[in-house]
Amino acid sequence: MMSIKTVSANPFSALGHFLIVSFKDIRSFSQLVGATLVQLFAHLPRKKETFQQLYFVANGSLWTIAFCVTFASIVTILESSFHMKIVIQNDSMVPGFASVLILRELGSVVTALLLTSRVGAGMAAEIGSMKVTEQIDALKMLGINPVRFLVVPRLIASTIGCVILSIIANMVCILAAMIVADQFLGYSIGLFLTAMRRFVDFQDIIFASIKAFCFGIVIPLMSCYFGFNCKSGADGVGRATTQSVVFASVAIIVLDFILSYTFSYFY
Amino acid sequence: MKSGVLFVNRLGEILLFLGEVLKTLWKRPCKLELVLEQVWHVTIQSFPTTAMAGFFVGGIMTVQFAMLVSEFGASAYLGGLATSATIREIGPMLIAFMLSGKVGAFTSAELGTMKVTEQIDAIRCLGADPIQEIILPRFLGIIISSFFLLTGGLMLSVIGGSTLGILFAGINPQEYVRHIPTILGFPSLMSGLVKCMSYALVLATICTFMGYFTTGGAKGVGRSVVNTSVLTMVTIVVFDWGTSFLGQLLMSWFAVG
Repeated sequence: MMSIKTVSANPFSALGHFLIVSFKDIRSFSQLVGATLVQLFAHLPRKKETFQQLYFVANGSLWTIAFCVTFASIVTILESSFHMKIVIQNDSMVPGFASVLILRELGSVVTALLLTSRVGAGMAAEIGSMKVTEQIDALKMLGINPVRFLVVPRLIASTIGCVILSIIANMVCILAAMIVADQFLGYSIGLFLTAMRRFVDFQDIIFASIKAFCFGIVIPLMSCYFGFNCKSGADGVGRATTQSVVFASVAIIVLDFILSYTFSYFY
Repeated sequence: MKSGVLFVNRLGEILLFLGEVLKTLWKRPCKLELVLEQVWHVTIQSFPTTAMAGFFVGGIMTVQFAMLVSEFGASAYLGGLATSATIREIGPMLIAFMLSGKVGAFTSAELGTMKVTEQIDAIRCLGADPIQEIILPRFLGIIISSFFLLTGGLMLSVIGGSTLGILFAGINPQEYVRHIPTILGFPSLMSGLVKCMSYALVLATICTFMGYFTTGGAKGVGRSVVNTSVLTMVTIVVFDWGTSFLGQLLMSWFAVG
């Protein structure tokens, strides 16, 4: 958390303050991750809470994600047809090109970013207001580990939900692209599928699912971290929500970059 | 059916609010200092995030295109293709997603807290117009600064792309940059900039609207923050499609390449 209240005139002092604060943040974040991992394997997760969270993550976001992803894929296929016409004068590669882009990047990243803003912000707001109204202290006083009670169900639910949603999103994307190619670009559906099959393999879906799995782990951890460290007051909850969305989005884009780079050695 | 009615209702509310803000801008404009202060705040707050997002988006697009293009032995076109795809389509969208999380959520949380703690009513009590004093500076400030933030992010995406071109595809920067002008013509650049501008407008309208009409205490603030980012993302995707469609329509009318 960038809580630099006292802006020092001395740049060295400001740098030192920044380093100390960010070191503390990284330390407590890794403590949370460690505690979550221990609690994940130490006990069976709470079934009811996990299913409730899964409902909230997956069912609640399904229509929003399907809607957004449809439009994104329509734009992608129209734009890639435009580019192909410039470079190689015809757009015969468009189905393959668009399906590669959709499966490797668009499907999982857009899904994860939407989930961040909907689910991640919701989790951060919920846990933040629990923290502000001292419910988390009450849990601790009753001898209940808040990490086990709150973080683990959210982690499991969001991971499963993100993988399922990204597969659905990929499917919807390909369908929308197929319909647009059929109606506007003059590729029949059979032609589209044949051209797609030359570029895309089953391993692309596996890689997309691995990406979604990693994104699904990042979102609840970020939200819960910022929720637990929420400052008191109405202002604090809003700030925690904003920060969790921002940090999770940046983490998703950086992670996507790293994963794309890694997977490029397997194609 | 019910959700359809709700959707139209919300759309009408947002348009009426936008009309109100524009009317206030026309009739009783706010002080320039307030706008500049907002521009400064928003830009300082979000520049590192936007720059980082732009850099990595450019890098991702280069990596993906490098794999495709090398199959056809057309590596020379890598720079042009990746830059064109980033600027016309992916770049503005992903960076605007980032801004909706950062600027949009922050502004609606701030305005929502003001509304819930009755500060906005206090302003009205003192005989001032809250739209003129509070909403209008934020609205204009967010539009101006998000436009420049998005453009800056796009510039950094070119840098990110050429860096990854060196590291990943083994193309030197001169070769990367050489084909950018042949593929990325003036219409493409304009389409990217128009997209940035429309996203800035969407972002500013939705976050001020959601903040200004927050109800229901601290929980309501959280809800309006979540609603802001979701609604902004959905609207951005729809506008993305709309601007692309409009651009292609205009191009086919005037027959420019």
